[in-house]
Amino acid sequence: MDKITKNQFSAMLLITDAFSLFCFRGQISITTLMGFLCGIAIQFIMTLPLIKLYDTGGNIENSGKLIQIIYFIYLLLWGGVLFSMLWQASDVIYIPYENSNGIWGKLLIAGMIAIVCLYASSTGIKAVSRSAVIAVGAGIVSLLVVVISALFNSDWNNIQNTKTTDSFLTEISRGFFISGGLGSFVVFLGFTKGNYMKNTIYYFSGKIILTVAVLLSSILVAGGIMKITEFPVVTAAQLSQPFPVQRIDSLFLIIFAVFSVFSIGVQSLAAAEMLKKIIPKFRYLRTTSVLAVMIGSAFLFSGENKGFIYIVAIGIILFILPCFMLLKRSIAK
Amino acid sequence: MQNYKELTIIPDLKINIRKIKEISGNSSDVMINEFITGDIKCALICCEGMLSTATITELILEPIVNIEKQKDSHELFHYIQNFMLMSTDRPVATEYDTLFRLIHSGFAVLVADGMNKALAFGVQGYAVRSISEPSSEGNIMGSHEGFVEVVRTNMSLIRRRIKSPELVMELFTKGDKSRTDLCLCYMKDRVPPELLKKIHDSLDNIKLESILSTGYIRPFVENGNFELFSSTGTTERPDVLCSKLIEGRIGLLIDGVPFSIVIPKLFCESFQTLDDYAFKPYYATFIRWIKYLGFLISILLPAVYTAIVIYHPELLNSTMLMLLVEAEQQAPLSILTESLFVLLMYEIIREAGIRLPKAVGGAVSIVSGLIIGDAAVDSGLISTPLLTITALSVISGFVVPELNDTMVILRIAFLISGGIFGLFGISILACAVLVNICSTEDYGFPYTAPLSPFKTAGMDDTAIRAGFPEMQSRNFTVEEYHE
Repeated sequence: MDKITKNQFSAMLLITDAFSLFCFRGQISITTLMGFLCGIAIQFIMTLPLIKLYDTGGNIENSGKLIQIIYFIYLLLWGGVLFSMLWQASDVIYIPYENSNGIWGKLLIAGMIAIVCLYASSTGIKAVSRSAVIAVGAGIVSLLVVVISALFNSDWNNIQNTKTTDSFLTEISRGFFISGGLGSFVVFLGFTKGNYMKNTIYYFSGKIILTVAVLLSSILVAGGIMKITEFPVVTAAQLSQPFPVQRIDSLFLIIFAVFSVFSIGVQSLAAAEMLKKIIPKFRYLRTTSVLAVMIGSAFLFSGENKGFIYIVAIGIILFILPCFMLLKRSIAK
Repeated sequence: MQNYKELTIIPDLKINIRKIKEISGNSSDVMINEFITGDIKCALICCEGMLSTATITELILEPIVNIEKQKDSHELFHYIQNFMLMSTDRPVATEYDTLFRLIHSGFAVLVADGMNKALAFGVQGYAVRSISEPSSEGNIMGSHEGFVEVVRTNMSLIRRRIKSPELVMELFTKGDKSRTDLCLCYMKDRVPPELLKKIHDSLDNIKLESILSTGYIRPFVENGNFELFSSTGTTERPDVLCSKLIEGRIGLLIDGVPFSIVIPKLFCESFQTLDDYAFKPYYATFIRWIKYLGFLISILLPAVYTAIVIYHPELLNSTMLMLLVEAEQQAPLSILTESLFVLLMYEIIREAGIRLPKAVGGAVSIVSGLIIGDAAVDSGLISTPLLTITALSVISGFVVPELNDTMVILRIAFLISGGIFGLFGISILACAVLVNICSTEDYGFPYTAPLSPFKTAGMDDTAIRAGFPEMQSRNFTVEEYHE
């Protein structure tokens, strides 16, 4: 089996998290940031049964078709959510032919991304994970430029002034919105080399740093206009210009495009991997059909934050199913 | 006629000579000299132009005709083999297949009446190009010797630099018709045994009729997937090959080709030159980063320029924007068409310059560079900024000549992608290219190592060029990158 390092594993998942953050809609305040961090802590605790399952030699491969189908459906639907996020966020990021051609423009963009994802998936997990590390490296450099320039344009009073009407619990549930990639976490954790617990901690540490960097810079830059901003992270990137006579917001478009490809690619890779376990004989059009269903399911999502549904879905795939598998193994022994 | 490869030499000189003439089709360059020595009828067979007349006269002909009377041909061969050291390379042939291979390789072959084998003497002396400076890998501080077309000379160039018994050179023949000599070189204490075994297996699969360049062999030692960048390298420099061998890689020399194949090759190695190790580390690091930048500029500059001018003018400051708007307003073609036209014209001119005789090639450069370029700008057919951008892109590509073929294709692909879909298109294509590079892997060695998979130790000769004291302690071999 192809094994991946903790860097590669984290890179693949952090790209999905970063892309979800870029597409995040609604107001952001310091309460949101705290809620997100608390949500991440809860997610980490929820992963413990899964780590225990892998540590004791269990895996999804031996978990039965029903559980595999649940994971597969989850991965497909989350792929659809990612496509839906892409379409919505691309309204505020200029992509040629996308806006002017309505549904066909959207399908053209989705098709282009799907072709690259199809190619990426065909090369296998090793190639995707290696390229994800380089993409994350390039993303970090670009993000640093945006964050540093955001510091020059920041208003520190925004931390106090920016408030949301939502409660802390609601913010935690919204935090789960950026954690849909945990489905691929479940699939790919079994591919990692070394200690599963250390790999998980490594990934969640990266996720905390990413969340704090992106949300804090968004609050500092776009806090003043948060009420009229639909995509606060995108707006913050557009507002934070390091040079007075030079705009750099297209730099964000590059990161956005690259991260969209990799996040959808990782999701389709995980879904195809699951489909391989469910129907091993279905080989040739496996990834193509996965991507086609993902694009189709994107039409199901309006993009509104369905915090409760995300909590339930992530709870099932991250906590309840691994607990069930652990229990089944204990009874079998 | 029965396939001569299956025939053996028989103890009858007349029949053997007739057979040789028959097999060679009385070819004019196969010379058969019949004579009697030691009271035995013999024939010395050689190929005209393949051996040194002085050597054969002095070492073979003079001693051989002065042999005293022998009882029979067995005695004669025993005497020659044990009491006369006519040359250092003295193989014995029992089949016609071997006999012809030796004759065509510049050996003088002695057949005698009553003997079912032939003695061969290595007296090769064909016209060869002398060792000269490599044409494709320029160097300031290092050696100025490059490989030549003769595999044995190339072997000596390597041996002169690595005087260690650990250096192994396996000479063998491939190609049904060409019978090309190949030489597999490696350091037996450094090369990963698994890599060596797999290369041997790959070479065993070669069933070509002829091998006339490195391109004939490379597909057999690469993994066969679609790879934009080649996972095997070539070098024209013996010193570079030696450094690769010491790192545990395998070199493959081909007779008739002044290049060696290096297996495996990594992406970062395309940016390393021998001069990097002659200069101070800080300067070598600077030059290396210039090369990385040059590579990116070469591929992306025309595409980014086109994308920015057409779709993302907000990236430009007002002065630059006005300058470009003014220049592009006068050009009759769209920027994408214009860029494609200039790039394709450059490739046509470059190809013409390479293929034409040198004297005419120079004229082509003058006509294209000065006359066409100047006239195109003056007439308003092409804008000056675009021509400048294209020239910068092309010149930047020259800093990494090894990747030029890939860069040409990528430059055009990115240009089309950026021209149609702007920076989004460039980003999407960049993802596909990145995945392709990362999927390139031969024999378990990822092409993108040490960047991804990340190896901190490998950064001292990738991100920077560390000093030799630091690198000496590391004792690097390529096996560190094996996955």
